[in-house]
Amino acid sequence: MGSSGEETIVCLPGERLCRIEDNIVLGVGTYEQNGYIYASKSGIVNIEESGENCQVVNVHKPGFHLTIPTTGDIVTARVLVTTPKFVKCAIFCVRNVLLENSYRGLLRKEDVRETEKDRVDIYKSFKPGDVILARVINQMEQSFLLTTAENELGVVIAYASDVRKTRVPMVPVGWSEMQCPLTTIKESRKVAKVLPESTINS
Amino acid sequence: MASNFELLSEQGLRLDGRRPHELRHIQCKLGVFEQPDGSAYMEQGNTKVLAAVYGPHQAKGKKTESNDVIINCQYSQATFSTAERKNRPRGDRKSQEFKMYLQQALSAAIKSELYPRSQIDVYVEVLQADGANYAVALNAATLALIDAGICLNELIVACTASLSKNNIPLTDISHIEEVSGGPKLTVAALPTAQKIAFLEMSERFHIDHLETVIETAMAGCREIRDILEAVVKEHLLHMGSAADWGRVC
Repeated sequence: MGSSGEETIVCLPGERLCRIEDNIVLGVGTYEQNGYIYASKSGIVNIEESGENCQVVNVHKPGFHLTIPTTGDIVTARVLVTTPKFVKCAIFCVRNVLLENSYRGLLRKEDVRETEKDRVDIYKSFKPGDVILARVINQMEQSFLLTTAENELGVVIAYASDVRKTRVPMVPVGWSEMQCPLTTIKESRKVAKVLPESTINS
Repeated sequence: MASNFELLSEQGLRLDGRRPHELRHIQCKLGVFEQPDGSAYMEQGNTKVLAAVYGPHQAKGKKTESNDVIINCQYSQATFSTAERKNRPRGDRKSQEFKMYLQQALSAAIKSELYPRSQIDVYVEVLQADGANYAVALNAATLALIDAGICLNELIVACTASLSKNNIPLTDISHIEEVSGGPKLTVAALPTAQKIAFLEMSERFHIDHLETVIETAMAGCREIRDILEAVVKEHLLHMGSAADWGRVC
């Protein structure tokens, strides 16, 4: 295949792309079979240089594409139910891709903080309606296991529980407290230190 | 064979003027709906089929114990799709049978290890039935899966074949040829890998002709695959131009 030029190469599922060599790595949308690399999606073939003498073969589909959370992804979720042992969330965003259907997430008490795991109080960390950043650590039967045990993960949007009509997002005043700008009421939360995703992943 | 009807004339033409190896005219279109994740419309002769794909999304129900993807298919024929009005568009024995056939064929094509504990819903609606309904439904479902961006091993394509009175194999039989007593063989295949994912036959003929009829159906599958590939590439170029070939992820 002559993909060294700038022309766009369109491929279909099952189309053979190239032979497997030492300096060619499988990317997104491809699979290996019988010593060759095939496309598993219909889209555009991209060959990217990765390191010295190493090329990654990708197939990207233009337009909207679906995504599933995998282990290690940073996801955005909304807290649905809080119990003394775990928190149920609805994952609605994976990295920077907004999901059409939400996935179920489970955040256990032991995964809220890195230190003092035994003294974590769920009700002082999350409340229903909060928007949190979390990392996927496992996939269970019906949900994804999440963790907020990093400084950059936790609650990013929260509302005061006593204000009913005018819901104003609370402002973080520390790593464990948020304050309502209207009524100045302080509430305990596991506050996220919001940074760009590239900083987190590096 | 109790056929009183001749499927092939003396000049070698069929009832609608085709030669024995010719397909009916195929038209297809991807992305016909906005709401589903993938959708396709396909015409093959007078058979018109709509397919919609939702997913992969979270599997519903409590009995999902496997690590594989769950393919949920629904085959439905509109009440106005046949000459006599149907009372039940779905749920009868034939549509349940076709639903299982679709599930079996699509599970051979979808890379299920990439979507653990997920569910893919495929809805197929036949708007007009004129023979080879299952084959056209499977082809439309394949196009809808490609439109949804689901990873496939290969396109899975289906075609029908028959055998005339003087043992000449026919490709892509229509409704008249189906009900005239000729045998009907349906093959769903992965053409590049030369694998058959589904095989069904009605009526009887001698086993000496089975290989010939299967090869005729496989040739039809390859021809249909080329037509579908051209349509998908044209759709991709159209989508890519609209999105300015933006890099995803």
